[in-house]
Amino acid sequence: MSLVDVLFGSFAIPFMGRALLVMLVLAVVAGVVGVLVNLRGLEFISDGLTHAVFPGLAIGLAVGGTTGLIPGAAIAALGGALALTWLDRAGITSDAAIAIVLTATFSVGVIVVSRSSDYAGELEALLFGRVLTIPPSEVVPLVVVSLIALAAVAVTLKQQLFRAFDARGSRAAGDSSLVLDLVLNAAVALVVVAAASTIGTLLVLALLIVPGAVARLVTERMWWLFPTAAAFAAIAAWLGLAAGYAISVGGGFDLPAGSTVVGVFVIGYGIVLLVRLLLDRRATRPGRRRQAAGRARDASGDAGMEDLLSTPLLSSRKAR
Amino acid sequence: MSDATVLRLDGAAFTYPGGAGVSELDLAVEAGEAVALIGPNGAGKSTLLKGILGLVPLTAGRVQVGASAAPVSADAPNDRAGSPEPATHARNGMVGFLPQSAELDPDFPISLEQVVIQGRYRGLGLLRWPGRADRQAAREAIQTVGLAALAKHRFGELSGGQRQRGLLARALASEPRLLLLDEPFNGLDQANRDALIDTIRTLKHRGVAVVVSTHDLELARLVCDTVVLVNGTQLASGPVDEVLTLGNVQECFDGVGVEMDEHTLVVPGHEGH
Repeated sequence: MSLVDVLFGSFAIPFMGRALLVMLVLAVVAGVVGVLVNLRGLEFISDGLTHAVFPGLAIGLAVGGTTGLIPGAAIAALGGALALTWLDRAGITSDAAIAIVLTATFSVGVIVVSRSSDYAGELEALLFGRVLTIPPSEVVPLVVVSLIALAAVAVTLKQQLFRAFDARGSRAAGDSSLVLDLVLNAAVALVVVAAASTIGTLLVLALLIVPGAVARLVTERMWWLFPTAAAFAAIAAWLGLAAGYAISVGGGFDLPAGSTVVGVFVIGYGIVLLVRLLLDRRATRPGRRRQAAGRARDASGDAGMEDLLSTPLLSSRKAR
Repeated sequence: MSDATVLRLDGAAFTYPGGAGVSELDLAVEAGEAVALIGPNGAGKSTLLKGILGLVPLTAGRVQVGASAAPVSADAPNDRAGSPEPATHARNGMVGFLPQSAELDPDFPISLEQVVIQGRYRGLGLLRWPGRADRQAAREAIQTVGLAALAKHRFGELSGGQRQRGLLARALASEPRLLLLDEPFNGLDQANRDALIDTIRTLKHRGVAVVVSTHDLELARLVCDTVVLVNGTQLASGPVDEVLTLGNVQECFDGVGVEMDEHTLVVPGHEGH
């Protein structure tokens, strides 16, 4: 199997082509939404949504089979977005309260799934995705859900950036913080919905957080963040699927596709971080020491590498 | 209310849901006039400014911004009391606000120019993006505050005083008829201070009404026509020379140990001016 085969040829196989299409759309949308998640420090809400969606998926699956997944997840995600927006605005900052809510929703999901005959298989598919076995009939709904998330963010983008930079200034200028927060949280929720049936509810956090963190390392120009994050996400998704195929088919070592994609995201982040640190060190020689230190702090703070590597069953609230 | 009156408070009180606030405010500010709010820390100066913006609920009296706008009254049932969203007059593009030494993330990837153009967003609404006229207005505002050379720089790289001037430029870009400045001189060096004073003078000439909270008596004397002493309630108001007497200021700052001369005010336990 040549490199060209792996990078291009493998996607001529229908299930690989479908996986690539869905992953590219999802990665680009998650990358763009993720820049705002990064700038607003909304990693907590994103994590919460990944948990809130789970019972919706499980109930959708129990009621309508696989066609019930997306409607079930969408209802749960939008409900979760409302609830988390409210928690955030009410200033409820107790880790315990949030952990209780999130684990409760998660256990409801597990109970529902456990009623079905193929308990282990279905649980695994919901948590870790089934990107290679997406039926053709699900491709259009997934793309539509992703594009709605993208449109919601695009329409409010300048106000979202204003609010991210200066929340009080944005309110003083007459923007409704409630509307902006709901739109952004709903967009994150829709990304989680689209991801739930592709790479799973647990791994989607990487898609939302890594591209934004990479963009912050690459550029300090506001409008470059979005194309940078989208491009990184698209390339990493493509390489991830190709690597999973090559190792599973060519190498005979069976790798789960969703996890391989996430692995490539994290490796990509590690490489960008290393390059950034090296560039900053070179630039640091006399005089610029402080800036580089700031960048390094940024990098470790933004990335939350440990968050990505550990299973985020319990979220810890980000201090703000 | 005459046509030139830009801001009018009648027996107004602004109160946070927790109970802290400022009351018994009576004030009329005309176009081209500047008013200094003077009082100790925690006296309610910022609360007053945020109340005018609609960020703190009006709990008594009336507020009117602009001669033609309908006054907002605490008695009338409207969405304002207890509502976290700004009242309508803050939306109609008349009021610019310069926050207190803004708590903005210095690492945020945004240029000075991009910050200033945010001042135009209110006029654009949700769907329209800034056009040529908006960029022109932003450039002029940056020029007015003397930062043209730094327009492309990242906002977080600027010094504290330059950031303050940058935020002032943002307020100017919104072409307000009323500009609210919250302690704009805290921590500024002489050059930035002079630049800010020049800008306020320029604005007054253009007919902008200015309300500025400050500890800086020199500023009050240099650019303000009227002084209002505040400490929980409005204690005195009137022309600078009549109001800024040692007796008045001592009362406002709760008595003992206040010293003042032409330029400065020294209060025990207080920083700076």
